[in-house]
Amino acid sequence: MTSPEMTTGYAGDSLSKAANEDVRLAKPVGADPHTNGKTDADREDEKPGIAAPLRSAGQTRGVLGTVVSYVLLVFGALVTLAPFVLSFMTAFKSPGQFASESSLALPNPITGQNFSNLFGDGGFISPIVVTSQAVLLILIGQLVFSIMAAFAFARMRFRGRDALFWVYLGTLMVPQVVTVIPLYVMFSQLDLRNTFWALVLPFTFGSPYAVFLLREYFRGIPEDIISAARIDGANTWRILWLIVVPLSRPIIATLAIITVVTHWNNFMWPLIITTGRDWQTVTVATAALQGQYNANWTLVMAATTVAMAPLLILFAIFQRHIVESISLTGFK
Amino acid sequence: MTTAVSAAPKRRRSGTREAALAWGLLAPSLAGILAFLVLPIMVVLWLSLNKWDLLAPMRFVGLQNWVDILTEPTFARSMLITLTFVAFVIPLQTALGLSMALLLSRGLPGSSVFRVIYVIPWICAPLALGVVWKWIFSPYGGAMNALLGTNFEWLSNPDFALPLVAAVSIWSQVGYTTLFFMAGLAGIPSQILEAAAIDGATAWQVFWKVKLPLLGPTMFFVLVTGVIASFQAFDQIYALTPNGGPQGSTDVIATRIYAEAFKAFNLGNAAVMALVLFFLLVIVTVLQQRFFASRVTYDLS
Repeated sequence: MTSPEMTTGYAGDSLSKAANEDVRLAKPVGADPHTNGKTDADREDEKPGIAAPLRSAGQTRGVLGTVVSYVLLVFGALVTLAPFVLSFMTAFKSPGQFASESSLALPNPITGQNFSNLFGDGGFISPIVVTSQAVLLILIGQLVFSIMAAFAFARMRFRGRDALFWVYLGTLMVPQVVTVIPLYVMFSQLDLRNTFWALVLPFTFGSPYAVFLLREYFRGIPEDIISAARIDGANTWRILWLIVVPLSRPIIATLAIITVVTHWNNFMWPLIITTGRDWQTVTVATAALQGQYNANWTLVMAATTVAMAPLLILFAIFQRHIVESISLTGFK
Repeated sequence: MTTAVSAAPKRRRSGTREAALAWGLLAPSLAGILAFLVLPIMVVLWLSLNKWDLLAPMRFVGLQNWVDILTEPTFARSMLITLTFVAFVIPLQTALGLSMALLLSRGLPGSSVFRVIYVIPWICAPLALGVVWKWIFSPYGGAMNALLGTNFEWLSNPDFALPLVAAVSIWSQVGYTTLFFMAGLAGIPSQILEAAAIDGATAWQVFWKVKLPLLGPTMFFVLVTGVIASFQAFDQIYALTPNGGPQGSTDVIATRIYAEAFKAFNLGNAAVMALVLFFLLVIVTVLQQRFFASRVTYDLS
């Protein structure tokens, strides 16, 4: 989770295929047949002699199992959500209330004071602008350049293609912790330290992981569609953007979400390559604020709320697609 | 005959055109990969053979940095802390993820809502979540002390800091692990489970003898990605326990590299540490691959 460039999505050919196959199988099979009422009933109809005596004992155990399952699921949900709820509550409390009452108390009155301080003296507007611009540029660059490379690997013949693809795959294994030091040195030598370009350049030219996923998808597009377009006189460039890309909308949407989440949340590289306030990203600004106003938790929780809110909103809108694409692509 | 002769050069010409076009399409990403992934590896190898603080001229010292780091107790300690961290996180995260997936795969109403809730921590910035948990564990107005009625300095205690940091890491990743196990469980053909049920297998037996072995590929994926991420954990640890934590008790490899490179400016030493971590990850991955290759049944047919 420290790795922005999906180092954990690191996956050999077979690996990701295995994950993809799981998902493909997932759809027709559905839920566990033991608890799926319909399937159980069907089976009992077919073999009444075997199933009937077992039924009542099974049902009591089933009810108990259901209750225990819900207790555990609700407990898990509470543990998952509590830190979010508590931090949002604190963000809307006045510092006075925070100091005098229990930190579990509801905000009373609800105040936006922390947020106005955050955007005023806290200087939190600039990090949001910087991060948004960087994410947008990285998103466009990564999608366009990865799509181009993936198409060449999936659909074109040229000498050295497979060897080159292995180079792309090999770079997936390189952890970010290894590259930050040399990248820092390189950007310092080029006098690009603490610039906007330092934030975006390492990630704008496509990612090997995106190339890998897109290539798999492009290979699944029927050859007939492409050769038909070729006969109609479309050149490769038009085929790519007017036929292949529209047909690949689901995987491109997935990659877009991955890229936005990864780079909005990226911390280590911006922390290292920027100094001072000019090019601070949201995560770096949050960390700096926490260091600076150590016990001013209402202000700091306003900052974490702002840092998390855009992705939480994105998640609320696209949750189904995001949840499915996680298990589909194994991105992290 | 004549057609064959005339077709060959044409095909070759169109082949060269196609190749040129392909290289054109590859050019931007290839340039990016060479400049920002391949070149850095060479630079970090070169740095590991030099002493440099970014200011004074670089001084070639051969393998001196390697000898220094590999015999230095601080680095060995960071290595041990990292291994302990991974040993906390991976088994618990995997077991919890699998348990939640088994619960969610029972087809109970509302399962999809729970599934979405569990993924929420994973979508948020680890750094921001680290800061939130730092407040929760804070001795001044923190939620944990308010909840328990205690007055404890959780993260300043060298015995508690590492387990707590590991717990936060598990908390933020269980949902993600759960999703993978759910996909894996759904991929088990229902005929196999029905056959087991007809043979009179208990739910416990079905889990250990049927489901778990068939989850091999999923387990492999979850473990490999989990181990790689845990070995590199930085953001949350940086937020929760800055500067290596109380008495250096949470100074994992990633935070050690950061301190060595960007606080102490010993770039040569930091480069060695980064490369050691890299080798370690490659070894771990290969070992896991071997282990699973010998016992995983990928073929369900």
